[in-house]
Amino acid sequence: MISIGVPKSVAALCTGGIARAGALSEQATCSFAWVQSGVVGKSFGWSVGETLKRSQPRRAFATRSRAAASGGVNGTVADSKDSEYDYDLVTIGAGSGGVRASRFAANLGAKVAVCELPFSTISSDSAGGVGGTCVLRGCVPKKILVYGSQFAHSFEDSKGFGWSYDAKPKHDWNMLIDNKNKELNRLLGVYKNILKNANVALIEGRGKIVDPHTVDISGERIRARHILVAVGGRPYVPDIPGKEFAITSDEALDLPSRPEKICIVGGGYIALEFAGIFNGLGSEVHVFIRQDKVLRGFDEEVRDFVAEQMSLKGIKFHFGESPTAVEKGSDGKFTLVTTKGSEVADSIMFATGRKPNTKNLGLEDVGVNINSKGAIEVDEYSRTSVASIWAVGDVTDRMNLTPVALMEGMAFAKTAFGDEPSKPDHRYVASAVFTQPPIGTVGLTEAEALETYGDIDVYTSNFRPMKATISGLGNRTFMKIIVDAASNVVVGVHMCGDDAPEVLQGFGVAVKAGLTKAQFDATVGIHPTAAEELVTMRSPTRKLRQKSNKRADCKVVHLRRNSELYGFMERMITPGKNSSQIESHNPGLYSQFGQPYLAKYQLQSGLRLIEQ
Amino acid sequence: MEMDTDAGNDVAGRAFDYDLFVIGGGSGGVRASRMSASHGAKVALVELPYHPISSETHGGLGGTKLAMISPYSDLSVQDAKGFGWEIDGEIRFNWKKLIQNKTKEIERLNGVYKRMLVNAGVTLFEGFGRIVDKHTVEVKDVDGQTKTFTTNHILIATGGKAVKLNIPGQELGITSDEGLSLEEFPKKVLIIGGGYIAVEFAGIYSGMGADVHLCYRKSLPLAGFDTEMAEVVARNLEARGIKCHKHTNIVKLESHYLGIKATTDTNEEYHVDQVMFATGREPKTANLNLEGVGVELDEAGAIKVNEYSQTSIPSIWAVGDVTNRINLTPVALMEGTCFAKTVFLKEPTKPDYENVAHAVFCQPPLSSVGLTEDQVKANHGGIRGEFKIFTSSFNPMKNTVSGRQEKTMMKLIVHGATDKVMGAMMCGPDAPEIIQGLAVALKCGATKAQFDATVGIHPTAAEEFVTMRTMTRQVNSPDVLL
Repeated sequence: MISIGVPKSVAALCTGGIARAGALSEQATCSFAWVQSGVVGKSFGWSVGETLKRSQPRRAFATRSRAAASGGVNGTVADSKDSEYDYDLVTIGAGSGGVRASRFAANLGAKVAVCELPFSTISSDSAGGVGGTCVLRGCVPKKILVYGSQFAHSFEDSKGFGWSYDAKPKHDWNMLIDNKNKELNRLLGVYKNILKNANVALIEGRGKIVDPHTVDISGERIRARHILVAVGGRPYVPDIPGKEFAITSDEALDLPSRPEKICIVGGGYIALEFAGIFNGLGSEVHVFIRQDKVLRGFDEEVRDFVAEQMSLKGIKFHFGESPTAVEKGSDGKFTLVTTKGSEVADSIMFATGRKPNTKNLGLEDVGVNINSKGAIEVDEYSRTSVASIWAVGDVTDRMNLTPVALMEGMAFAKTAFGDEPSKPDHRYVASAVFTQPPIGTVGLTEAEALETYGDIDVYTSNFRPMKATISGLGNRTFMKIIVDAASNVVVGVHMCGDDAPEVLQGFGVAVKAGLTKAQFDATVGIHPTAAEELVTMRSPTRKLRQKSNKRADCKVVHLRRNSELYGFMERMITPGKNSSQIESHNPGLYSQFGQPYLAKYQLQSGLRLIEQ
Repeated sequence: MEMDTDAGNDVAGRAFDYDLFVIGGGSGGVRASRMSASHGAKVALVELPYHPISSETHGGLGGTKLAMISPYSDLSVQDAKGFGWEIDGEIRFNWKKLIQNKTKEIERLNGVYKRMLVNAGVTLFEGFGRIVDKHTVEVKDVDGQTKTFTTNHILIATGGKAVKLNIPGQELGITSDEGLSLEEFPKKVLIIGGGYIAVEFAGIYSGMGADVHLCYRKSLPLAGFDTEMAEVVARNLEARGIKCHKHTNIVKLESHYLGIKATTDTNEEYHVDQVMFATGREPKTANLNLEGVGVELDEAGAIKVNEYSQTSIPSIWAVGDVTNRINLTPVALMEGTCFAKTVFLKEPTKPDYENVAHAVFCQPPLSSVGLTEDQVKANHGGIRGEFKIFTSSFNPMKNTVSGRQEKTMMKLIVHGATDKVMGAMMCGPDAPEIIQGLAVALKCGATKAQFDATVGIHPTAAEEFVTMRTMTRQVNSPDVLL
């Protein structure tokens, strides 16, 4: 199905494990999926013919012989009592995690139904849609809008490359939104097909758990051996006067027109991604952040760097300001009132976090434990406090990322139906923020690494990418590698700059595999790329020694005493600080600092030279 | 390996002017100079005076910089339209402005390199370097003045130069060296050759509006690359409007009142206003007096070196394209670094050529690390047994909205017995940036299971590399080659 134009992202969501068959047409791929499930079915005692002909009754009482023949599900149930269940699995919520879990469970021989609310671009208690947040209100539409807005920067960049325009390129917001919605509708269909082809029954309606084995879907009671809750989360808006005038990311992806001026409340990734989108498309963007920095939880230097780069593009940050009210004016504009003042804009967007959708699901009544944040508590296998009820994805608030929900869904299917207890592994999950410039990150931040390992070496690089040297624009790229000093293992890689999300994926494999800095260094660069910098960072910017409590927080540089750069740096760091301590033996460390501009940057950021 | 004398003195105890004299200021030469100096050696480097077009008389520090201008060589305005952009009026392309900006940047880099060397304590000479004997180098400056210097070690890092086909009228054509500095932007170009330089220039010229014809001898461009990937590149070239003429040999160029007439061996004619030879590069070994001092060359004219980059004369070494090992900048850097360690740190270090990743900046680019499927089938490197091939061809998300019909192709080659990933390749936007990290994993023998255990970054193209769960086909590496 990939070949007919499913974007890669969706392909990743929908095809892993079944139909990774790029060269096939949709039809062929679908039949491949059929055959595949046929093969699975066969091994469980079904004939291929039966599998292929099997219809999808809206409510079918299963022929239990099938599960019985499978030799048991999770080793617990496989006997005549099976007939008391309509399905082996009923999944509530057809987002990334729910679809993946359902499809894999079906592949493993389970009879599966998934229920989902009717489609709408705005989520609510009565609307959702197959595909879930990622496809309908998150990753996919967001990235389409990011692509759209990036063109504005491309037009600027291209001028240095010899291009000129008679007229300034204009942007038609409605066309972008229409094309985005067209794409979403297509994906919705693709998703439905995926479920159908995997033999998963799709039931439209609101699912509510009645007892540990019964789900009520819009009045119809369905008995299930296992219930999987994968209802995801929704944007959360703080309870302040006028909050009904504010929009969230759901609405921001589907506005009837582009606001000329927008105030965005929040400093998380959603706030920053939308700031970039609207800024690129020409809006005046103000971002209000309660704290004094963006992106809490990210590496401190990355936080500073991305804010600086975004400011350069004209986004105005208001730090240390909390919203207190939203007011609607008679002219149709809105006023955001904060603890420090107020700002009038065409739209006020709140990107103040997301909350799990655990209300009105009957969870408390059947005894499913919910934590203080409203998320479902699960064990390492995604099982809730009720043995037959499981939960994956954002509703569990572990790591709210699409690929993590996929991993959790797949592990759940293996655990519950594959006789293979599998724990999702949440360590070293790489992730991206599609700001402009974007961020890619895997592993620990510098602070976390210091906390965990005590002694770490930090390598940083801050450079002008080649494209910017020709375009003449001020774009820079920042990279950072964090190494556990004792083992030389790379425990964190962070990048903010063009292509960072694409660059980080491969490094994600390397970090996950536990590779050392020496192994990074042994890799030859691909020239000329930005990524090659990550395998050519030879000298630590600083060595932090908390455990051994020596030389804490120093940036170490060794220089030839007779070199010009030595003198230059010595002058820069006077008066008096440690300049006498510069070492004259300098082997590999010198190479990186031999670039005067880099040295200058390092000095400006508070370099101290000390002997080793 | 026979190490010559200690730095600073020859056998007779006579002091040398320098510990190291480097001929050639490209990537390998500059790196070797800097590293050697940082290890305490007294170093001099001679490089030809700077000129944007390298030649027998001109060069410049830093070497070639083709990829610099490729980012916006194809503006992709069509792509923007699907995303709601309207552009009224004309979009113009000013070749001269691009070339000026490129030249400015190259000059800046030339200056950066110069400062870097000076800061490292390297003495810089501008002129032509020639080896007099195994410990003596002669430098002839622009005014024709010559000076000779004694040195303990000599490093040759003169690189390579583009070569033309030996056909009538070859002087009418240019090579890639001139291709980035043309006064006028050509309307219609014939590029002879199917290697990476040919496809890169085809993309650049075509993106900027030229009518590009690409002629190559074989059925596909990019010989030596994975055949399946080369097919993808050929398809993309065609789809972007480049006319690919396979099995086509140009035998003659003639002046013509409208430009240049090129004739093929089947008597077909092309009338174009520029012909570019992208017919390979050869090591620059002329006029160095290599034969005179007894430095051996191979049949291709490259300097023969051992694993430590040492030539047949123990005090003379060579790195980079002049040795024709793997002709890539980062490889020259690696060779330069290893040379400095070997000679001046007394730590014999061999460059490691395994799993060197590389990129072709065609549009969209191709990047690859490790073995190709062709190599596996041909039992390259002697690794036997079954290999699992995982492929994925998909429409990138951007194209679903822009409507561009161009698929991204990815491929992993996994050794069945060990589960090791032996090759990873991609043709599509950002491929070189994506492959770099995978190269680290391959270099360290990562298994397919480790790829699969890595969670994807969503939504990216790269995540496909860690979510390729179903094998596309299996191939066997024969035990015995027939």
